[in-house]
Amino acid sequence: MTEIQAVPTTQVVTPRVRGPIEMQLKNVAVSFHGRTAVRDCTFDVEKNRVTSLIGPSGSGKTTLLRALNRLHDLTPGAKVSGQIILEGTDIYRGNLTVTELRTRVGMVFQRPNPFPTMSIYDNAVSGLRFNGIKKKSLLDEAAESSLRSAALWDSVSSRLKVAASNLSGGEQQRLCIARALALEPEVLLMDEPTSALDPVATLRIEELMTSLKSRVTVVIVTHNMQQAARISDDCAFLLMGEDRAGELIEFDTTEKIFNNPVDSRTLDYTLGRFG
Amino acid sequence: MTDLIELEEPTEPSTSSREEIRRISDNARARRVVTSRIMVALCGVALLIAAVPLVALLYQLIDKGAGQLNLDFFTKLPQTPTLIAPNATGGISNAIVGTIALTLYASILAIPVGVLVGVYLAETNSKFATTLRVIAQTMAGAPSILMGLFAFSFIVHDLNVGFTAIAGSFALAVLMLPVIIISTEIAVRNVPNSLREAGLALGAKPHMVSTKVVLPSAVTGIVTGVILAISRAVGETAPVLLVIGGGFTNSWQPFNPVSAMPLAIFENAKSEWPSQRAQVWGIALVLVAFVFVLSLTARIWASRKQQVRN
Repeated sequence: MTEIQAVPTTQVVTPRVRGPIEMQLKNVAVSFHGRTAVRDCTFDVEKNRVTSLIGPSGSGKTTLLRALNRLHDLTPGAKVSGQIILEGTDIYRGNLTVTELRTRVGMVFQRPNPFPTMSIYDNAVSGLRFNGIKKKSLLDEAAESSLRSAALWDSVSSRLKVAASNLSGGEQQRLCIARALALEPEVLLMDEPTSALDPVATLRIEELMTSLKSRVTVVIVTHNMQQAARISDDCAFLLMGEDRAGELIEFDTTEKIFNNPVDSRTLDYTLGRFG
Repeated sequence: MTDLIELEEPTEPSTSSREEIRRISDNARARRVVTSRIMVALCGVALLIAAVPLVALLYQLIDKGAGQLNLDFFTKLPQTPTLIAPNATGGISNAIVGTIALTLYASILAIPVGVLVGVYLAETNSKFATTLRVIAQTMAGAPSILMGLFAFSFIVHDLNVGFTAIAGSFALAVLMLPVIIISTEIAVRNVPNSLREAGLALGAKPHMVSTKVVLPSAVTGIVTGVILAISRAVGETAPVLLVIGGGFTNSWQPFNPVSAMPLAIFENAKSEWPSQRAQVWGIALVLVAFVFVLSLTARIWASRKQQVRN
């Protein structure tokens, strides 16, 4: 009989060296007409990584995401408190206009929403035009490079003048990604970008996100835990509290959240026991 | 975490209750078929009742009006019949020119203001906007003779402009405004919010979102509303009756008195000459054709646009 070797039971945990920070959230809370929708969100979004926000319906994921490029500004009664810091500047109180912020922090929405009256080309360069760029050579270059980045150029280069509504749902969503990328943002916010798409289109968007990581920091809200596990590097888990306000339960690397979370509720959720 | 729900063994319904369910539902279905046939028949009857006056009107219009139409009718100025030539009524060219001129100036006055106000109402939620909306809705229901009275006292009398085309255009513009405002507001409100957000998220300023994203998406609805407002203005008698003066020349000048087709109908219908009274049907037919062409254009245009979109 061979003697069984004693295997060390305690793993040596070497804390990962944190990269540069893109966005810092400090005690971020959003309320509508005095009713808190999400609160206690404190975490750092690291540069050139994909950060996912997961949690059941009503946990405030989308509300939190929309606070990151001030989309709540026009909602009557909405109030964002705490601090959101983009490269050292507080985006609500700092020396940064809301339009400038939105060119640096782009957004892709749940349902593909290309501008229906514009062609594919016009959609791709719409952000640049909104910001006053009229020179054709610049627009042409931006259209091609952003459509290439969104893996759409090969299928649309011959029909750039066609209305964007002629594209399939997946292509429309990639056009929306191209539209956001044309402004060369530092951060790309994605609000369940694949929930309206079929599995093949979903896979293409996921591949796209991974390939974009080197150029842009991605923050994505997703209902799909497999998706979060597949594509994200860091993961924030939110849950609805007793007063129906969402709150951050845990933030860590995706690996830790899915394999070895600190909070038992995180484990219950990622194992699919509720949600 | 959460306890699993205990599921009971499913029990089958007994044969007798199954048969009862089938019997009752068969009876109910038979009853529904009878009710449905009666209702379809009633709908047909209602359709006939609604169609009879419409068809009769059109029949009478064409029957009595078509005979009046010839080249002179469109190109000659009106004449007063005499005992020697009791059928010399001339044409209605001054009324056609007058109607087109009136409508044109009214459109120039009403469309820009109406569209801007409509967009403002749809895109803001201020108290001022609410007040404006109530005013527009009240104006839409106001009797059209009121616009005529207003134009008479304000333009003709107070501003001392006199009986002119522009006074009539002003009255028609006031009449068109609420229609344009309300239809523009609806069209702009119908533009999905997701498009506004997409624009804002690309760093567009709110006014750019309105002009570059929202207006192009709402243009079908706006144009349809504008054309309906125009076709309503073309046929209005009351507002122009009191203020345009009834000119007897082909005048495009805004500060000259003009005639208009509804006014010509009104005047000729009171004539003592049977030939002039008969001419009324010809004018009415031309007027209806005008309105018909306008609203048909609006409908065709809107559905084309819709198809392109889809």
